[in-house]
Amino acid sequence: MTLVLRLLSALALTFLFGASAAEAHPHVWITSTSELIYGPDGTLTGVRHAWTFDEMFAAYALQGIETKTKGAYSRDELAPLAQTNVESLKEYAYFTFAKADGKKEKFNEPVDYFLDYKDNALTLHFTLPLKTPFKAKALVLEVFDPTIFIDFKFAEKDPVKLVGAPEGCQMKFQRPNDGSASAQRLNEQTFMNGGENANYGAMFANKITVDCP
Amino acid sequence: MKSAKVLFPSLARRLMVCALVAIVVVALDGAAHDVMAQNPFGGPRPAAEPEIGGLVGWILTKQSEFYREISTALRAAKSDGSAVWSLLAISFAYGIFHAAGPGHGKAVISSYLVANQETVRRGIALSFASALMQSMVAVAIVAVCAWLLNATAKTMCGAEKAIEIGSYALIAAFGASLVWTKGGRFVRALQAPRPEPVLAAAAADGHDHHHDHGHHHHGDDHVHDAHCGHSHGPEPSELAGPGGWRRGLAAILTVGIRPCSGAILVLVFALAQGLFWAGIAATFAMGIGTAITVAVIAVVAVSAKDLARRVSEARDSNGVLIMRGIEFGAAGLVLLFGSALLLGYIAAERVTCL
Repeated sequence: MTLVLRLLSALALTFLFGASAAEAHPHVWITSTSELIYGPDGTLTGVRHAWTFDEMFAAYALQGIETKTKGAYSRDELAPLAQTNVESLKEYAYFTFAKADGKKEKFNEPVDYFLDYKDNALTLHFTLPLKTPFKAKALVLEVFDPTIFIDFKFAEKDPVKLVGAPEGCQMKFQRPNDGSASAQRLNEQTFMNGGENANYGAMFANKITVDCP
Repeated sequence: MKSAKVLFPSLARRLMVCALVAIVVVALDGAAHDVMAQNPFGGPRPAAEPEIGGLVGWILTKQSEFYREISTALRAAKSDGSAVWSLLAISFAYGIFHAAGPGHGKAVISSYLVANQETVRRGIALSFASALMQSMVAVAIVAVCAWLLNATAKTMCGAEKAIEIGSYALIAAFGASLVWTKGGRFVRALQAPRPEPVLAAAAADGHDHHHDHGHHHHGDDHVHDAHCGHSHGPEPSELAGPGGWRRGLAAILTVGIRPCSGAILVLVFALAQGLFWAGIAATFAMGIGTAITVAVIAVVAVSAKDLARRVSEARDSNGVLIMRGIEFGAAGLVLLFGSALLLGYIAAERVTCL
């Protein structure tokens, strides 16, 4: 009886949790370039993203959009889609997570958002203003999808830029395929949540750190 | 259920069982809310996965690779017709790997098979039928929304979301109906008179061979029903009949109604490339691959139950009870699974809305 029960409970657990454990793979690929915008007083005011979608998702997103010239999409023609995009992104916290000296910081809704379509590539531009601009000795900004439905990859050239940052601020950028970084990230995450809800997707995070004097 | 006297107590018992399951679900719901509240990012659903690497990591990498190759192959097929063959091969391989992920009915089909007296052959048939339906639904959505109506992604995504919620509700309802029937059987097995311990000991005392022989002759279901004195549960032979297939249809519909996001994306992309037919072919190739993986898991589930049956048959005092318990548990699992999906605690593959 113990054998049977053990067998069956193992099976049951596999179904119930295995299903969510073997998480979906990315269906959307985004190539990002991001700018950290600083105010004249040296506070970080927001993050400006430019997210270029992969061609398959771009085809999906552009489906049914009426254009004057076939295959060419103007900013105006793409405006409703950009609106939908930023509205949908809210649910996912814009996949952008900021921490100032260990404290989580929140973003307001995006401003200055638009889509452009150039060289068969669809790019979403938007600025995420911080709820309260802040100065931090150690800023950590992560861009990732915890459910890894979207794969975020930063551009090879100039992935991250600091705009108007105070003198002496040092920026470091870590890609998710850096094994040591992700292992460390996972431990921190697990610890923070008391072992609960260990965030698998966090291992795919792009990590930007800015250290200021 | 020959008279009202028999009917009402059994109805009351079933209601009690269903109520119990409902309480458990609600309790889990509350607990999950607490967990959610602690989500540091207040972000999307928790995607708990403490371990990576190994098999899961490999599957993830493989399916990612194949998926990305699909779009390349589709593009190539535009100028070179022979590239369609590699498109089909890649789609098929993708389907095999992809079905290992969530949202392809493994849990529902396997639990359904365990809850019922199902054969391996039927398990395979159900896997293929549901995967085929998934492919057809994906093609239908894109054909109607994108091709005929030229709807925008927003509209299409709305349709997908509606279907998604509907499919979760269907899983929960399907689970509830399984719990209803299996709960009744389980309760009856609980109340069935059991052989005296002395008798069981005597039977075990060197008469195993003879005892087994008797079981083979009768079949365990028959023996069980004879014990209880009334027959509600379907005989294995009944399952092959029209009624059995109709119940199987419920499983197929439940699983098959929700297309996978990958198929939708591939189809829309194919449509944009002017190669809708190639997208349809790729979708069905994916469906066959998916069916194979689901069928393998279904066969494992059925075999595990058969093994459990054989082990439990050796102990005839509790054997029937264990089997009814297993069936009831599997039924409960479908209900739990459907409810969890519906309430958003298990993240299935996300719908393509952005």
